[in-house]
Amino acid sequence: MGGGGGGLSVQPRVKRGSFATVRKKKKRVGFVLDMTPLVDIAFLLLTFFMLSTTLTTPQVMEMSIPPETENVEVKQSELLTILVRDDGQIFKVLGDKKQNPPEKVALKDLRALSINENMRLENRLIVALRVSNQVPYELVIKILDELNIAETEITQRLAAKGMKRERKFAMTPFTEEDREDLKGL
Amino acid sequence: MSKIKKKRVGFVLDMTPLVDIAFLLLTFFMFTAKFKSETESEQKFTIKRPMASADTSKVPEKDLAMIKIGIDTVANDTAYYFSLSNEQDRKIVYNSDKIQIPEEARQKIILKVTDLKTMEALIRQTRIVNIRMKFAIDADKRIKYKWIEDLTEVMRKSNATIFNFVTDRPS
Repeated sequence: MGGGGGGLSVQPRVKRGSFATVRKKKKRVGFVLDMTPLVDIAFLLLTFFMLSTTLTTPQVMEMSIPPETENVEVKQSELLTILVRDDGQIFKVLGDKKQNPPEKVALKDLRALSINENMRLENRLIVALRVSNQVPYELVIKILDELNIAETEITQRLAAKGMKRERKFAMTPFTEEDREDLKGL
Repeated sequence: MSKIKKKRVGFVLDMTPLVDIAFLLLTFFMFTAKFKSETESEQKFTIKRPMASADTSKVPEKDLAMIKIGIDTVANDTAYYFSLSNEQDRKIVYNSDKIQIPEEARQKIILKVTDLKTMEALIRQTRIVNIRMKFAIDADKRIKYKWIEDLTEVMRKSNATIFNFVTDRPS
């Protein structure tokens, strides 16, 4: 960054050496401002702020859990249970587990599953999510994210039919019984 | 360099556009800069947040009760960390006699909570002091779901049934 910024220089150009003599004469036609220190400081501050700022601010995903006192009765036929086993494998149970035994689902198919089942039952479906407590938290968020993405799609499709989205998914505790059901599948 | 010097003795570079851009960037970064809060500077661990793309609302700034679940990689220990964004509320909650914590911890900004009983007392007391308090759970993606399940169970008992999971946007 050598040499002063000649941004404001006007012809005839004044050389650095003759600066003092020009001043003495007090007959300045053009003038040169040495911008080097200014630019130095500006770049110093710029690098400081560039390195100290984090542009990725965290966001939030809102969740609600049913309160303790309230017991919601759900018809078996309107229930879609998504179970996550200790090893992270996802299973779905449509309605009664005796009629429809648990079936394996891939994470990427969850979105389509949620949309299709919700559209089939038209707003009456409840998705219950039961996650084993050994599963990494990251997977749980991924599943919730898939269901949330599906949610916007469902809301739009229902709105097209003139319906308002009412039911959402709920998280319920994973029981020992669930663990037994999923063993060896 | 030497080749150019041979030809031209004096050489002036017009730095005006460069300086213009530099200052533009400088002002941009100065205005967007958000410095670490008191809470964050006291924190000894970093949280690797899970990625989520559906919900993109921002973390509320006012009346926020943040519960972090972090892995201290040095001590290899996972614990809950409780903090309140509002200083006045924090003083009242931390100094409440319903909460059993060591005396010196009451002056801190972040409370390390290892048992769920203390956590329940904290959440309950927070809700008594300020009913508009929003809860956010900021957990490391590597932890077991058990930590979240235990925490949400405690929150359910204290009637804090709406809360937020803090996530990061995938880049």
